Amino acid sequence: MISLYPLVYNVVLSTRYDVLTQPGTSHFVGLGNYQQILSNAHFWADMGRTGIFMVVSVTLEFVAGLILALVVHQQFKARGLVRASILIPWAIPTAVSALLWKMFFDTRSGFVDFALHALHLPGANMVWFNSPTLAWVPIIVSDMWKNTPFIALLLLAGLQTIPLEIYESARMDGASAWQSFRSLTLPLLRPAIMVALIFRTLSALLVFDVVYVLTGGGPGQSTEVIAYYDWYKYLVSLNFGVGATVAVIITIFALALAALYVRLLQQRGEFLS
Amino acid sequence: MRELTKFRRSSLGVLGAATLTLTLAGCGSSTSAVAHNVTLVFATQGLGTEAQATNAAVAAFEKIHPHIHVQIETLSASSNNAYQSLVTDLASGSATPDVITSDVIWPATFAAAKWIMPLNQFHPKLSAFFPGMVKAGVYHNELYAMPWFINVEGLYYRTDLVKTPPTTFAQLISDAKSAMSKNPKLMGLAFEGNKYEGAVTVFQDVSGGFGGAFLNAQGKPVINSPQNIEALTWLDNALKTGLTPQAATTWEEGNVQQAFLSGDAVFATNWPYLYPLAEQTGSAVKGKVGFVPPPVQNGTPTASLGGDSLVINKNTKYPQQAWELVQYLTSASTMMHRALISGDPPARTDAYTASLLKTAPWFKQEEAVYKYATPRPVTPLYPQISAKIQEALSAVYSGQTTPTKALDQAQQAIQAILNNNGN
Repeated sequence: MISLYPLVYNVVLSTRYDVLTQPGTSHFVGLGNYQQILSNAHFWADMGRTGIFMVVSVTLEFVAGLILALVVHQQFKARGLVRASILIPWAIPTAVSALLWKMFFDTRSGFVDFALHALHLPGANMVWFNSPTLAWVPIIVSDMWKNTPFIALLLLAGLQTIPLEIYESARMDGASAWQSFRSLTLPLLRPAIMVALIFRTLSALLVFDVVYVLTGGGPGQSTEVIAYYDWYKYLVSLNFGVGATVAVIITIFALALAALYVRLLQQRGEFLS
Repeated sequence: MRELTKFRRSSLGVLGAATLTLTLAGCGSSTSAVAHNVTLVFATQGLGTEAQATNAAVAAFEKIHPHIHVQIETLSASSNNAYQSLVTDLASGSATPDVITSDVIWPATFAAAKWIMPLNQFHPKLSAFFPGMVKAGVYHNELYAMPWFINVEGLYYRTDLVKTPPTTFAQLISDAKSAMSKNPKLMGLAFEGNKYEGAVTVFQDVSGGFGGAFLNAQGKPVINSPQNIEALTWLDNALKTGLTPQAATTWEEGNVQQAFLSGDAVFATNWPYLYPLAEQTGSAVKGKVGFVPPPVQNGTPTASLGGDSLVINKNTKYPQQAWELVQYLTSASTMMHRALISGDPPARTDAYTASLLKTAPWFKQEEAVYKYATPRPVTPLYPQISAKIQEALSAVYSGQTTPTKALDQAQQAIQAILNNNGN
């Protein structure tokens, strides 16, 4: 009920002309809003940027998360403490962690600037947020910092379901560590990988707060993502009809992506069993 | 959050309608019962000394009106966030907050959405208020907002580095350069260059100085006028030539304040709140600060108008009491007290009394700048117009496009917004 009501309401709203600053003019427009949005270059530009962000951030987070999971899966002292502490970034609200990274990337007093300077690396005195390409770096770093632990946690859970004996027998058969990782760990981890990827891909599609806090979509429109566009339609234009339309389109994309993943998961699943 | 908003919007709409019906039904009988206890919810921004001033004013008001209790609801200090929570409340049709502190750029939007009440019915006396502030609250010839305190984006300068304040943009550059040549650590001009509303108010100052405007007298956009292109080129050159550091492209008021108060900047654009901070004991620039209208080049001095006004929720159950509160808060003596406690500049001329000027002499210089206060376009579409200008400024400052191209594009986008098919 709680999730269905707003969803249905949103779909209904998306078929209406409903601009809050023009009370009394709300009326049914059928698929008019969809036609308007789908033929809009601005919308597709934002979708494109969101897609690139999704691929880059999920790939990086996945690789980092996998390494992290493999590390904390090993036996070592204070393992419980380390496992618990990697979750800290994930427990911090995105808006807060984004603000933190905004300060880190500050040109005059930021930590990043200081570190690059100390290490004699290029990039010191850089105004990160004033470059259409480099402005993505703080966004992706902030997003990675926050979400890598989540992937690591899911993969760690997956790793723990793999019985240790099979590694034992692989070693006896003369398999190298890399070979057993490729032919044992990865395939057996597939369900966990799929779950992690589905979660992260979908939330990357809906990315909003990091961008809102760090760049406001700037400089120009170079970091504007689709959820930002939707926010703009609702709360700047106060155009609830079009805002709802964008929300419905995002929902459809999200469902399609999830369906795609589930299909992949099922096909591979047959392999496993 | 989005879904939640929608949910609240409709469900509270029903609730609002229900309460309205109840109120209307109750009207007939309750008129005789005068000594009714009433609670007004007053949504306002402001922390620290501003909150102190609000609390003091509200306490004094309650003393005079023992039957009215005022509950203060503090909104987010960030203007954007405050706006969003107000939109959520008002769109839901809720009867509270009854009285709302509104940024000068909001009343037109609120009025068009029929969320706030026209105030002419209360016969407000407006002759003492700064005309620019009053104009910002007028939509379709009706007054919707009572000015509370005024703000202008003016030019700060260092009296120890610059003998007489510049009146032309060329003079500003040469003054800044000569100070910078004596002390290379100085920056010439600090201004707000981040992609946000503050960049628009700086641009408005410079645009007006070059003789430009955002909309013409007929309400048609003139964003890509030669004057505006000149103005944006001037700001962009400040960044390119090192008069202003590159980092300013991410600066908001707080960063400009930091640069100026630390003594690093010859000139800075900012609002009056900075003046008392600069004159505070321990400030690196104490006694070395001047505040003047921005310079010109073929235009007129233009100081972008900011500030806050008070509006009344259209669905309030207590319009008369709400008006009493608004009237009290916008009286000369309340404004003077607020100025003394928090430094918020009164929106009416008769509040600048001798005793205020004695305690806070900088108000005299500030008053000279208010003469040039220019409101941003008063239209419900202003937030969208501003967003397009912000995009243009940010695209130019980051070197993605030229001032001409950026403003041509903004002109087209704003034209489309005004024709009601914009993005």
